[in-house]
Amino acid sequence: MVNYSYFPGCNLKTNAKGFEKSAIAVSKKLEAELVEIPNWNCCGTVHTMTADNLMKRIAPVRVLARSRKHVEELENSSQDIVTLCSMCNSTLKIVNSEVLVDPEKLEVINFQLEDDEETYSSDMEVKHFLEILRDNIGFAKIANKVVKPLKGFKVTPYYGCMLLHPEEAKIDDEEMPSVLENLIESLGAEVVFSPLFKYCCGSYHIVSDEDIVTRQVQKIIDSAMIRGANALAVACPLCAYNLDQQQKMLMEKTGKKEAIPIFYFSQLMALAMGEPVEINHFEDHKIDPRILLKELKFK
Amino acid sequence: MSYEYIKFGQEEKEFIKKIEEISGQNIYSCYQCGKCSAGCPFSSKMDLTVNQLINHIQMGQKEKVLQANTHWICASCLTCTIRCPREIDVAALMEAVREYILREEPEKVKIADIPKDVLEKLPNIALVGSFRKMTG
Repeated sequence: MVNYSYFPGCNLKTNAKGFEKSAIAVSKKLEAELVEIPNWNCCGTVHTMTADNLMKRIAPVRVLARSRKHVEELENSSQDIVTLCSMCNSTLKIVNSEVLVDPEKLEVINFQLEDDEETYSSDMEVKHFLEILRDNIGFAKIANKVVKPLKGFKVTPYYGCMLLHPEEAKIDDEEMPSVLENLIESLGAEVVFSPLFKYCCGSYHIVSDEDIVTRQVQKIIDSAMIRGANALAVACPLCAYNLDQQQKMLMEKTGKKEAIPIFYFSQLMALAMGEPVEINHFEDHKIDPRILLKELKFK
Repeated sequence: MSYEYIKFGQEEKEFIKKIEEISGQNIYSCYQCGKCSAGCPFSSKMDLTVNQLINHIQMGQKEKVLQANTHWICASCLTCTIRCPREIDVAALMEAVREYILREEPEKVKIADIPKDVLEKLPNIALVGSFRKMTG
């Protein structure tokens, strides 16, 4: 059993509980357990692209420092901090690479963290759980653990922006990724390719300009449905919220009849590996995935 | 065909310098190929396309830049950044324009104006993201 220092980020404790619980359950089954950092803070969600402001980089560096301490306490662990949320993953990765190439920046940030004895020394590596699944565990082992193949599931992988952008944070090829495809196939489901696999969902515009998000979501969903998909697999709680919530909104507003459920990739894994369905918290989804499970007679 | 008189004095140069300072990018690296605008998922919502906005920055046309909605529509998906053939962090330029404004007027989104039920419904990831991008 390998233990990984796991950074949940804010959303995995609120509206993406099913993402976290299913991922932790499958991580145990795959002998690569995600162990939560005991005292984490918000990473800041979006990475700052300003060159003249270190303030917004303190939070992610503090997370890295706390994870470093956590790793020391963990038995049989690696120097990795693992995230599930793709926005956390990108924010932490970018800042980690920034302070690695610019030790002066790190020195100034560390000065702020000194009082709390939480200084950082650029010796952690940030990994998304999908990278652990692909590089450390391997899809063959995942396929071996499948007890209920996802027969009849036609899943469109939706990467969103932050798994593939920018260069410092990408977990796969930015224009032709394959990690979600390989994972979905290893679970016995069919992959339905959509060219809008990384077409931005509108992200935080949901707060102040909902129309932008609605328009993006409609395109992303139509593109998957027109190709025959009956589910979408995501890795970002914000993409999941937008795609789920706005589909429901469109149905209410325009009378649109059809919708497809949004699954976190770990929920698909948990289903295929025979975990109890409750851990997925499907009741939190607006487009209830249990309807699809019933249609496909998946038990 | 009409021509536009472009003033290029101290004020314009200072504006360009500030945008370059905040973004850490050389604005004149851009040769206006338009690849950023072509791939931008939000181009149709923008009153100026991304490369048009950059062109106005290059010319120091501060008013035109600040009046556009381009940088507010940008959701920082970074598609432009990874595709720029001149390796400009285009999204950082959009962020620099936002920051330029927010450092003077820090409330593009007024948190107090968002209804309580909307605030409660939205996930924290959206709220934190929005407030980091839309407030100073």
